[in-house]
Amino acid sequence: MALSNRIQNGLRLTPLDEWMPESGDGLLLDVADEPEARFIRAPVIAIRFPAFTDGRGLSLAVLLRTRFGFEGELRAIGEVHPDIIHYMRRCGFDNFQLAEGKCLPPAGSKTDSILAPYSDYYQASVLQPEPASRRIRRVA
Amino acid sequence: MYTYDTFDRQFVRERVSHYRSQTERYLAGELTEDEFLQLRLRNGLYVQRLAPMLRVAVPYGTLSSAQLRKLAHIARHFDRGYGHLSTRQNMQFNWPLLAEVPDILEALAEVDMHAIQTSGSCIRNVTTDQFAGVAGDEWVDPRPYCELIRQWSTSHPEFDWLPRKFKIAITGSRDDRAATAVHDIGLKVFRNDTGSIAFDVLVGGGLGRTPVVGQVIRRNLAAEHLLTYLEAIMRVYNRFGRRDNKYKARIKILVRAMTADGFREIVDEEWSHLEGGSSTLGADDLARMEAHFARPDYPRLETESTELDTRRLSHPQFSRWVEQNVAPHREAGYAIVTLSTKITGVPPGDVSDSQMEAVADWADEYGFGEIRISHEQNFVLPDVSRARLFELWQQAEANQLATANVGLISDIICCPGGDYCSLANAKSIPVAEAIQQQLKDLDYQHDIGPLDLNISGCMNACGHHHVGHIGILGVDKKGSEYYQISLGGHAGGGNSAATLGQIVGPSCARADVPSVIKKILDTFVDNRVVDETFLGCFQRIGIEPFKERIYGTV
Ligand code: SF4
Repeated sequence: MALSNRIQNGLRLTPLDEWMPESGDGLLLDVADEPEARFIRAPVIAIRFPAFTDGRGLSLAVLLRTRFGFEGELRAIGEVHPDIIHYMRRCGFDNFQLAEGKCLPPAGSKTDSILAPYSDYYQASVLQPEPASRRIRRVA
Repeated sequence: MYTYDTFDRQFVRERVSHYRSQTERYLAGELTEDEFLQLRLRNGLYVQRLAPMLRVAVPYGTLSSAQLRKLAHIARHFDRGYGHLSTRQNMQFNWPLLAEVPDILEALAEVDMHAIQTSGSCIRNVTTDQFAGVAGDEWVDPRPYCELIRQWSTSHPEFDWLPRKFKIAITGSRDDRAATAVHDIGLKVFRNDTGSIAFDVLVGGGLGRTPVVGQVIRRNLAAEHLLTYLEAIMRVYNRFGRRDNKYKARIKILVRAMTADGFREIVDEEWSHLEGGSSTLGADDLARMEAHFARPDYPRLETESTELDTRRLSHPQFSRWVEQNVAPHREAGYAIVTLSTKITGVPPGDVSDSQMEAVADWADEYGFGEIRISHEQNFVLPDVSRARLFELWQQAEANQLATANVGLISDIICCPGGDYCSLANAKSIPVAEAIQQQLKDLDYQHDIGPLDLNISGCMNACGHHHVGHIGILGVDKKGSEYYQISLGGHAGGGNSAATLGQIVGPSCARADVPSVIKKILDTFVDNRVVDETFLGCFQRIGIEPFKERIYGTV
């Protein structure tokens, strides 16, 4: 996982209506955009969250990863707040550009409690394709 | 009932530390008001008129006696000695301190409880029939499926940031005591022609500002597909539900915009990719969950107790309670007892710490240590031997939990309203009390027969006024509290589909509500034919005679 404001070396992010698969540019998506198979040719896909409470980008990420098999970098940009990152990661994001003015406390237990507050989850996700009940013996 | 394993315990404990650190960051100024609002809502904490309100999850309304004792402890130590049974089978505390909430959660975690997703725009606590597993008219016990949905929806990566709150209800009985038709998703579980467990799936029901009865989008869905099909619905809603206007953000608006057929098509297309995926329930998943809800070993009892008959003859009050508050159990010799919280002078659903402890003791003494909360805001003891009903009744009487009014007009469903809720247009508790005062005579109430009277303090309809046979809605008229009355609503079940009430006419002032109710009842009494219920009579004669009596003209 990378947490940065880094723009991929020289890589441009192009909005969907201007983006061409052969351009080699990164693709910038709005949370309302409809995912398409040709997107997987982008080296990077960035999804812009208009608000940290807007879950559409989570579903879009899941579709890109699971339905279309996108394996490149999936970056969350826009209103990316630290407390939402644990959801985003499980939906397939692997790079996060925090919203302006947001930062993480220096590495340590406090950061862990924000970025990875749970050691495991019940349901399947992009990160963990099998639900807990199938991975571990659930005993009282 | 479901018992936590090490996985559940670990998750809930981690939830407590997670929430504690969020609270600390907020108090230290590291989280903005707006960020913390969203985070605390996903943990059941509202900030209300007078104080924060903490809503504790009671999954599908089932509690153990140890859990209820812990709730009593919390009421005593962190609140003002009482709690409130909500219309979604949860328990609410009205006076906790924001800084103490993490300690309350820690106390809850000791008995495998939490407040996860009891508010906020996420999948809420799943609700069901308060008689699940013991009802005489049950096809399939819905609780294993409730628990599977609880686990699947807990901190779901994709569905915790929805356009709006999302409520799922399941019934497995002919009489739909869970009111599934007025939920975002309603599930009816049954055994199909081949003897397998299957679901009918309704979507887009709901009350609030735009009340709608849900529509069936899939029949006979095999149990193994339950979660993948829910995933398909949730994904379509999460992506396409409106986010620009919170009054248009519920799934019912999306279903209406797409039409039920259009919505079904999109869901089915989505599901075609998910069907058979990793959330598919295997036979072992289902069996493991069903085992949690295996029926207790009921000692064999005499089918009928002569003792009970004698007591009923000598104690007419007891007899009336048996008639009204005791429901048939699937096992011979047992009964389901509803302990009514609706006693005049106490806000509907409010229970004191000592009442909670008493109920917990009775659950151990007369049953298998289990208690239910009904959406009508009463406690239920699911496994009482009929021969011991008299003993229980005496104790319930002494604790003000034996009003023989279950299903009668004074068993009012009532939201907290303007006394507590910051969204209210008007108070609801004093209206309930005024009506109960006026109708004190239980003989009269019995004569009136089954009648659901529901009160909400605003359009959000937490008091389910649209589906009350008589519904009362608080409205704001130029700064004063007024009440709009509707008739003929019905939550569904038996042979009739859910129906929304019709507004009877212009709203009235609070002081006039009891007299309007009296006129409505008089109209019924004058028009009814033998054995007719209020609802039956209304359906036959329509709203006009009621209008005429209330307003003088048509
Ligand atoms: S119906 Fe309105 S007043 Fe009553 S609890 Fe709900 S939001 Fe509050």
